[in-house]
Amino acid sequence: MSMDWLSFARGPALKVAIGVFFVGVVWRILGFALLRIRREHSRPRSGLLRYVSIGLFATATRSWPHPQFVKRTGAGEALGYSYHMGLFAVILLFGPHVAFLCGLLGIHPWPVLPSSVITGIAVVTATLFAGVLYRRLTSRVMRLLSNFDDYFTWFITMLVMCTGLATSAHLGARYETLLAIHILSVDALLIWFPFGKLMHAFYIMPSRALNGAILARKGAPT
Amino acid sequence: MRLTDIAVRVEDGAPIAAAPERNGGLGGGVTAILAEIAAGLERLTIAGNTALIDLRSLPLSPDDREELRLALGHGEVTATLEAQGISTLRETAVAGVWWTEHRDQEGALTAELLDIALTPPILAAHPSDVVMAAAALRRRLGTTSPPGSPVKGAA
Amino acid sequence: MNSRATVGEMLRQHGVSRRGFVKFCTATVTAMALPPWLGAAMAEQLSKGPRPSVIYLSFQECTGCFESFMRSFSPTIEHLIFDVISLDYDDTLMAASGDASESAMATAMKDNFGNYILIVDGSIPTGASGACCTAGGRSAEATLREAAKGARVILAVGTCSAFGGIPFANPNPTHAWPVSGIVGDKPIVNVSGCPPIPEVITGTLLQFVTTGQIPDLDEYRRPKAFFGNSIHDRCYRRPFFDAGQFAKTFDDEGARNGWCLYELGCKGPTTYNACATLKWNGGTSFPIESGHGCLGCSEPNFWDKGSFYEAQSTAMWGREGESQRKPLAEFAGAAIAAGAVLGVASAGAGRLRQHEREKK
Repeated sequence: MSMDWLSFARGPALKVAIGVFFVGVVWRILGFALLRIRREHSRPRSGLLRYVSIGLFATATRSWPHPQFVKRTGAGEALGYSYHMGLFAVILLFGPHVAFLCGLLGIHPWPVLPSSVITGIAVVTATLFAGVLYRRLTSRVMRLLSNFDDYFTWFITMLVMCTGLATSAHLGARYETLLAIHILSVDALLIWFPFGKLMHAFYIMPSRALNGAILARKGAPT
Repeated sequence: MRLTDIAVRVEDGAPIAAAPERNGGLGGGVTAILAEIAAGLERLTIAGNTALIDLRSLPLSPDDREELRLALGHGEVTATLEAQGISTLRETAVAGVWWTEHRDQEGALTAELLDIALTPPILAAHPSDVVMAAAALRRRLGTTSPPGSPVKGAA
Repeated sequence: MNSRATVGEMLRQHGVSRRGFVKFCTATVTAMALPPWLGAAMAEQLSKGPRPSVIYLSFQECTGCFESFMRSFSPTIEHLIFDVISLDYDDTLMAASGDASESAMATAMKDNFGNYILIVDGSIPTGASGACCTAGGRSAEATLREAAKGARVILAVGTCSAFGGIPFANPNPTHAWPVSGIVGDKPIVNVSGCPPIPEVITGTLLQFVTTGQIPDLDEYRRPKAFFGNSIHDRCYRRPFFDAGQFAKTFDDEGARNGWCLYELGCKGPTTYNACATLKWNGGTSFPIESGHGCLGCSEPNFWDKGSFYEAQSTAMWGREGESQRKPLAEFAGAAIAAGAVLGVASAGAGRLRQHEREKK
């Protein structure tokens, strides 16, 4: 019996994707966390407890640009936060997504937003995300710093959003084809996740905390 | 107040129970159907072409349907057709427009149409049926049909 | 049945008036979303012509499709179809049996060779050299191949004959095939459904009988007039889907309020049929209106696709109906362990490099 695309996307393909995701994420987290921190030969400026707490504080303070730089990078940061919030709303407050997550994890579903509201949020999020690429392409500095990882990650994430919108709007093909393509794009994202910049989801807080702690030890808390 | 003070409104060929004026105007869907009916009536007068509008194929809400019914109103004639169930053909207040409901033997609605015609074609007897009926009648009477008649009667 | 009598003559013999027949044809064309004036034209056309010969073959099936076609519980306007067509062979209905019935079929096929309409329900098993389904000592496959030779068109009625249906589902022990898997050189129209709606069967048949043309078909060879829209697109509960109001169980408040059944496995979005508009039992109701999600019975492989009581957006993991937490936890545990091994090895290699660098 040949399997149809939808059954493949949410069956074997999803299994492989989740498998690669877990293997890759744990690999990268441990591969980074178990590395030795370069030994500091200078005298610690404060106690261990203090510089750990300052490190934790730094995750908050470094989550928004320093006042001196707000004018230059504030808009970009705000753009980033906006589309992240939009993504979380769409992923966690849309009926079929909640059905997927709760079915997979065996947990009780939570209340969701009307589908029309989610569509509106998704359209705004996709527009902001397009703005992110525009910013990256039009800024000389950003262009200089950008590599394959940046562009490919943007492409895969945008693919998930666009295929989701097309499925929701029943646009362009039969529903089961659109849903299969959407789930396959999510599978692709899960497979790419551990190997690209999406790992910032796991790195971002620890790295800010670590930077803050190291600097606090040196007596330069920010 | 005297009798002559009461306002009188005359409508051409006024049927009984003419469509009342509705405050606030008609919904967009109903307006479109009425426009189609008007065009159908014009074709009927110019070329004699009848037309049928399938009401069940149109996206009408119950409110739209009621609005259409009120807009078309009620005419003078109601015809009942008993053939494989009861069908009702009601003339509306708009001359030449008939609201037709076809039902099967169990009373289920099988079709609901607006017939744009002088008389709904289904009511008319079919010419070949008339020929056969005349022949049968002649046979019953034991007489022959006149020469040149398409009907063949008994000798 | 005298297949040489015109349809009009047959109708009169059965007490059906011309007007009654116009009503029947009008109901049929409006059900197919064709212009309503075609009803009178169809009635006029059909009345004059001879009754087309129809041979109905039933193979590996439950007789549900034939019951749907027959509507044997109550006579309705659809019964008129049997005055329009000349059902020259059907082993469920005909009084003759044994050799008499087989010779009736042979005679009908010979007399109307190249012109008869062949209706098939049930799948065709090819396992055990066709012994899984035999009649009169002949396998279903052999009978179908023979009958197809002289058919003008083949109507595969029901999901079993259109796509293989339940017999075709895993593990397909009888090696069942749909009609299109056995016959390749004749036009086939699939009227799928488990069973199909009676009006869909009669409408498709009538359209072919009147026009002599096969209607517009979709990619699964189903008439677009009936299978062109998904249930989801015509469902009266669609506003609840759009509003995000879903029933979670069959007896919760959402179910009692008639909310969308998507999370209870409704296959409406991926199923193409006329159930939401024509409905069943003369427009009485359809599964969703009765509170049960669509099973997708008019689609290929609907049985194997499973997920009858889980939303179509859910993962297909573990057994249907059971929580997927345990198999996911085991799988994730194994993946995490594998990742940990790689991570430790990777960190070890990194530390070695750090050590080498510091030594220099």
